[in-house]
Amino acid sequence: MSRQGLPEWLSTALPDHAAAPEALAQSARQQVETMGLPGLRDEEWRWTNLRPIHRGNFKTAPGQTAPSVTEAQPAEALPLDNPVRLRFIDGMLQGIPDDLPSGLHLVSLSDADEATRTAAFSPTPAPSADDPNDALVTLNTAMAREGVVIDVDASSVIERPIVIEWLDGATDGAMSHPRVLIRLGQSAQASVIEQSESVGDQPSWRNSVIVSKIAANAALTHIALGLTGPARLSTERCFASLERDARYHSYNMQLGGQVIRREYDIQIDGTGAHSDLIGLMMPRGKQLMDTHTRIVHAAADTTSNEHYRTIADESGRGVFKGRILVERDSQRIQAFQSSNNLLLSDTAEIDAKPELEIYADDVQCSHGATIGRLDEEALFYLRSRGLAAAEARGLLIAGFAQEVIDEIPDETLRYWLTERVQAQLGQHPDVAEA
Amino acid sequence: MTETQELEQLVQREYKYGFTTDIEQEIIPPGLDEDVVRMISAKKNEPEFMLDWRLSAFRHWQTMTEPEWAHVHYPKIDYQALSYYAAPKSQEELDADAPESLDEVDPKLLETYEKLGIPLHERAVLAGVKGANVAVDAVFDSVSVTTTFKDKLAEAGVIFCSFSEAVENHPELIKKYLGTVVPKGDNYFAALNSAVFSDGSFVYVPKGVKCPMELSTYFRINAKNTGQFERTLIIAEEGASVSYLEGCTAPQRDENQLHAAVVELVALDDAEIKYSTVQNWYPGDEEGKGGIYNFVTKRGDARGDRSKITWTQVEAGSAITWKYPSCILRGDDSVGEFYSVAVGNNYQQIDSGTKMIHLGKRTRSTIVSKGISAGRAENAYRGLVHIGKTATDARNFTQCDSLLIGDKCGAHTFPYVEAKNSTAQIEHEATTSKVSDDQMFYLRSRGLSEEDAMNMVVNGFCKDVFNELPMEFAVEAQALLAVSLEGSVG
Repeated sequence: MSRQGLPEWLSTALPDHAAAPEALAQSARQQVETMGLPGLRDEEWRWTNLRPIHRGNFKTAPGQTAPSVTEAQPAEALPLDNPVRLRFIDGMLQGIPDDLPSGLHLVSLSDADEATRTAAFSPTPAPSADDPNDALVTLNTAMAREGVVIDVDASSVIERPIVIEWLDGATDGAMSHPRVLIRLGQSAQASVIEQSESVGDQPSWRNSVIVSKIAANAALTHIALGLTGPARLSTERCFASLERDARYHSYNMQLGGQVIRREYDIQIDGTGAHSDLIGLMMPRGKQLMDTHTRIVHAAADTTSNEHYRTIADESGRGVFKGRILVERDSQRIQAFQSSNNLLLSDTAEIDAKPELEIYADDVQCSHGATIGRLDEEALFYLRSRGLAAAEARGLLIAGFAQEVIDEIPDETLRYWLTERVQAQLGQHPDVAEA
Repeated sequence: MTETQELEQLVQREYKYGFTTDIEQEIIPPGLDEDVVRMISAKKNEPEFMLDWRLSAFRHWQTMTEPEWAHVHYPKIDYQALSYYAAPKSQEELDADAPESLDEVDPKLLETYEKLGIPLHERAVLAGVKGANVAVDAVFDSVSVTTTFKDKLAEAGVIFCSFSEAVENHPELIKKYLGTVVPKGDNYFAALNSAVFSDGSFVYVPKGVKCPMELSTYFRINAKNTGQFERTLIIAEEGASVSYLEGCTAPQRDENQLHAAVVELVALDDAEIKYSTVQNWYPGDEEGKGGIYNFVTKRGDARGDRSKITWTQVEAGSAITWKYPSCILRGDDSVGEFYSVAVGNNYQQIDSGTKMIHLGKRTRSTIVSKGISAGRAENAYRGLVHIGKTATDARNFTQCDSLLIGDKCGAHTFPYVEAKNSTAQIEHEATTSKVSDDQMFYLRSRGLSEEDAMNMVVNGFCKDVFNELPMEFAVEAQALLAVSLEGSVG
């Protein structure tokens, strides 16, 4: 089957000038015009249909927006202590705060110098420019006009969390292609929290790319909270490269949105580096939540740990694909991955593909995947203790989610998320009856 | 003009374009077009429905592209450079009569059997020696040379014959079942097979019959540059059961040879089919030169309620293996099992696994896959577990373990898990590790040589699968493993 190319509305939206260095942007434009959007025939997209985007007829939000739009607020305030807030409304950065802690430097992508912009558009591991599976990154390169560069000086520990608020759909039918670059100098530490919400009820689409470069001995905590948005379409790609003894801790909590696809590409380049990938997805209604992760162990004596859980209810669909790749000569690797999935309804669906690709022999790698419903015996036990059926179910489902939430390091955020998840589970007919 | 006449005319006409008219000719010249398909069909005196079937498969194949998703690399195959039909040489075949004693079989073939350790009594069966109790339908190249024990089987009502004989004698069964499990356009290699398959085995076990003996076939490839396109169809009627053994051997060849077989299993209510394979085709030499391309489509349809299909396989040979024996669990309470050991050494590439498609209620499947990589081999498990909407209370358990011997090889796992029913219970586990120094040290300190120690560890690693193999296969498999891993340690 021949490829279709981009839908016309998207093709005409391709700008002449983008934030990427001109040569990169131009070749990306050409590539993506021929490739079009990924389809079900592309291996990485076999479970995720982008038709809602294809026929979405989205428009780039105008640069100057009405005050009613720029005053958009997130519905929920995160319980964070004095965060550094970066607000994007339909992909447009609403200014940079001026009271920054020392060691932290923020600059909007359009104001960044050419070398910085080149870095923002040269992630490691490098996506393939002509592989349709990576077409959305190429599209982002062709279209990105806005974004932010977060630099942390060597040996600086930034205590204040850096919050990126993605407020989508302030303008009806808006699309955005923001690009974020996060660079941690040697032994630096920072935590970045992405909060995604829609502020309108009309469809919106964000196709964001976050590129993290973590120098030796530095540690980046990267939390993604996908919250409200009945018509929010979001395709998100995160790249992270780790030098010697670096740490990357990622937490991916998806609680709302119509189609959410988040991808992680982790390149462990330095000895002693470690990566955590923790995630919870709770699709229901007709939501589709998809996480793809790829971890490349390109250096010896590196470790990774991955733990994902999905609770699919009503007609929700959860997709998880995790790949661990151990390169030749990367000896003494420990890589663990588990994907546990709960199916609560017969119209819900879970698809999982845990992959191992191993080219070195001195490794300990394992993955486990389970799909099932609630344990009958556990239910029976709780019923025998006098709990109503619905109550017992609610308790077990909440407990299932809690094991992932408990991995989040920040205590107040953890409590907030626990309540948020329980409130959402409370809307489940079984739990609500209790 | 009748269609037969039309056909004859066509066959006549193509000779003008370079095909020899000699109907006794053993090998069709290389190349593939509709005429070749017609010629194969004509040579085998097939009824018209078969020719139509082949042609429609061929036309479909022409519209398809060769799949590239498997984790294997090989130079592009020139399908026009292959010859699609080779019959045994007439002096060996003795006018198509089954050999009555070993003397009548080419001693070189026997030598190959000898080297590969095929059990003596099975070789004896080939020669028709009394007292042997395994029925062998040996396939030498593409035409079934001998089928023994036909009478004893006939007594039980079991039909076990070559595919061509089945087309001739039981066309109604072929018509009813051929292509119902692996449709003619299923995939690139299955479509090619459907168009040009030369022969294969056919088994029919009637209602309520337990097949009185294990059925066994040796496939081998011995002519140069001929693709081998076997087709096997096994049908177990209501309450029937059969165990089928397939062993594969090939003499050493320099050029890559393509093998694209199709196996279809149909199990009706309460029927059981066990299909065991030991595959030991030429894997290529230590430099990765030569060897068989084994691109096989094997699928079982557990069509009836409470039916059961079991695949067991030991894959030790072939330069490239591309094979996914699968079960469609259509009947309620049907069971699918897959037990596999895949060994790769030197430059072998293996992309193998299974598919379990759960459609019926309370269907259960078990997958145990053990992959061993040594030398520069690449060994990938690729599998699918699919629980359909209708499959209430379905269960699956999967375990894929990989063992790495040496630091130049690769072991990979690509499992797909899809669940559309909330009552599904799926467990998937995979591990990758090497033989630990502790294990080796312990065994060496007990006086075992490095090679013996390695074999012992490897055999232990594969035990779960070997336990499921038929007795003589289990013994063969251990020997095979040792031979395959020769030179991988020390």
